[in-house]
Amino acid sequence: MKEINCLGKRCPVPIIETANAIKELHPGDSVHLLADDPATEIDLRAWARMTGNHMKVVALNEFLITKSKVD
Amino acid sequence: MVHITGNFLAESPLSPKAREALADALDQGWSDPGKIAHSAAQARILRDQSMESLAQGLKVRPDELEVLGEPALGHFYAIGGLLRAKDNLVHSSVDRKEIFALARTHGKMIEIPVDISGRMEFKSLQKAAKYSGVFALQAANGETGVIQSVDELVDTAGHLRISCDYSIAGTRVGLPTKWDSAFFDARAWQGPQGIGLVAIRNQPAWQNPLPHIGALRTPQSASLPLLICAAVALEEWLEDEATEVARLRTLSAELREALRTIDNVDIAGDLTESLPHITSMSFLYVEGEELLRKLETAGFSVDSGSACTAEDLQPSHVLAAMGLLTHGNIRVTLHHSTTSAQIRELVEAVKSAITDLRAS
Repeated sequence: MKEINCLGKRCPVPIIETANAIKELHPGDSVHLLADDPATEIDLRAWARMTGNHMKVVALNEFLITKSKVD
Repeated sequence: MVHITGNFLAESPLSPKAREALADALDQGWSDPGKIAHSAAQARILRDQSMESLAQGLKVRPDELEVLGEPALGHFYAIGGLLRAKDNLVHSSVDRKEIFALARTHGKMIEIPVDISGRMEFKSLQKAAKYSGVFALQAANGETGVIQSVDELVDTAGHLRISCDYSIAGTRVGLPTKWDSAFFDARAWQGPQGIGLVAIRNQPAWQNPLPHIGALRTPQSASLPLLICAAVALEEWLEDEATEVARLRTLSAELREALRTIDNVDIAGDLTESLPHITSMSFLYVEGEELLRKLETAGFSVDSGSACTAEDLQPSHVLAAMGLLTHGNIRVTLHHSTTSAQIRELVEAVKSAITDLRAS
């Protein structure tokens, strides 16, 4: 599973890095994101809704993003 | 030097007529209406005429209306005056920060969530209505322009006392069938800054929330020239409100349609359920502050709800509550002076800025 560390980085950087990482994956594959910007969870949910992918909060500042469709 | 070709900020300059009224009022309404001199009597007449005109325009009775020189205190008067120690303060998750502050200070509150379109959830309000309290009903949201179904909400609120916030909606949304207090801000009808109006319908239930002596409900320290200016601005506003609302709705529809041609844009609320002059949009993978600067350089002033533009660096609680994207956000406000050509120019500037920012 691909890991992205965006701790200390402000939005939209965690969302941009997640989107870039997910481009290289196949549907069903996941990315593990570490990010502590307070907007991350809200923006990641909105991003998932807008792009048709899936996200879930694993723990504080930890997110699992799963690619749901072919680009 | 940057030449601003489009003001799409929430604020707008006073209309020439309101500006003229302000200048005249400074000549005639300088005296303290509370004194007995001839100039004071003249000031009193001007004040009473202005209050009557405002009451008529706002569809409340003159004896219900009070003026405030500090509009930010309006929520405190309107809600605080109805709130008792045992009460809950019921408010929506997209309400103003002042309401959250009031709720926190009061200590007993119930927050009503909104759906993705920004409308309050009736089921949660139904549950909240089982207890005693005050329902802070925001008729329209200043960040997104989303309008609530005020009559249905009031019906659902049961025995809760209703304090209406019309500071953004102004006269664009009718008052609900039942209300106990209401708050207006003269800026809603392009009047001057610094005039708030509180209407108290349920006078027996309202108690002045501030320390006071005597029967005065508000401090009566508002500027008389500004009050006169607010009354003239409202009269002028109401003269062509219906035409102007329809014109802005058409412009807003054009704006939204053009914006939807940009990839990955999140537009707040549906136009049919929103004030026609406010549009909030967020663009994926773009920083709000950079977008704001690019547009300013291109000659367009807009507002933003993104965290990078906020003083506390927190994302907009309104966008967050609706589940909308908070980064890359801008808010566009249309005014009486806004033209279709300006909208087209703004959209081109937004498209160009987004393309540049996403490529960098």
